[in-house]
Amino acid sequence: MAEMHQILLKIGPAAFRIASAWRRPLEELEALYRDFPAPTDNSVDFTVRLEPEKPWRRFIRPSVHIGGDFWLPDAAPLPLGQGLLAAEMGMNLQMALGWRRHLLLHASSVEKDGKALIMTGLSGSGKSTLSAMLAERGWRFMGDEFALLDLETGDLVPFPRLISLKNKAIETMQQVVPENRFGPEMKATPKGDIRHLIPPTAAVARMDEPARPALLLFPRFGHAPELRDMGQSEVFVRLTQASTNYVALGEAGFHALTRFVDRVPTKAMDYQSGEQAEALIQSLWSKLP
Amino acid sequence: MSLKYRAAPKDDLIWHDLDSMTLLFHRPSGITHMLADPAPAIMEVMQDSSLTASEIALLLIAQFEIESAADAENIVLARLEELSGLGLVARVSG
Repeated sequence: MAEMHQILLKIGPAAFRIASAWRRPLEELEALYRDFPAPTDNSVDFTVRLEPEKPWRRFIRPSVHIGGDFWLPDAAPLPLGQGLLAAEMGMNLQMALGWRRHLLLHASSVEKDGKALIMTGLSGSGKSTLSAMLAERGWRFMGDEFALLDLETGDLVPFPRLISLKNKAIETMQQVVPENRFGPEMKATPKGDIRHLIPPTAAVARMDEPARPALLLFPRFGHAPELRDMGQSEVFVRLTQASTNYVALGEAGFHALTRFVDRVPTKAMDYQSGEQAEALIQSLWSKLP
Repeated sequence: MSLKYRAAPKDDLIWHDLDSMTLLFHRPSGITHMLADPAPAIMEVMQDSSLTASEIALLLIAQFEIESAADAENIVLARLEELSGLGLVARVSG
């Protein structure tokens, strides 16, 4: 077997080994995760492997196949220039398919005063961009992709991965964040133009500190600003759809999700700009107990 | 003889009320069901007994003090068949 390079990463409660046939994606990862600690005892939860699709593709028009403990058989390989994206997608895949220690929701989250704001919704809802923006305006960033709910306490556990900015969100964040917190821009990937953003230092320093879920939003970008009530039944169904491991967790997942729906006030939020969203969020946040 | 039905054992079920629906987690299958009225009430009045649709309709009418409806038995029967398809009630022979 050809030589593999590797690095270990600890992000919140999860530890990863990223092994790659090429050095370059790992060098990019190392630079972007420079503030993150290494796993304490070198043990990892998941391995992600970036390998050539065929042995000769290591050198000739190199293309990266994502493998690991969990993998999708039909995942299309990416060009080597998008190796960083492949590593990030590989880590997402391991979490989505393999994580069992928390109830996992496709959601972004930020924290203030020990209370967490969780935002979930379809791709394009703006949840990732909103979390990145709020993280530059006094909130602690907890994650832009997965919200991890503790099965015992119901607390939200941080998972402050690199923030994956897409298309217009890249320019929006470039206006407020210094250049040295960005990864390379990857044009025309299967997910559009992608640029990764390193979370603020405080998000990494406090990535072992959970927070109590205090507000759940279903943001929707591109509609006149409005907050709407949502029925518990609708919220429950949409959260089961937003969870990658609700079914796998069985009874523990049922208890965690019903408790969450019972306790956490929820609104649908339409908005057309970050400023509008921030004002709507502030109006809700100031009324929380 | 009329077909009788029996609800899944109590220990197999976890109930949780939401605003407009009732959640029912079925332990043996690990499936979460979302039930609308009157399905939760039907399962509640069945308790641990084997009952016909007509007996269940009478219990519902008595317990919820609703006026006797001519088609109550047919409504109950339709819901029982749905619940049976979900594995939440079983048809009992005899």
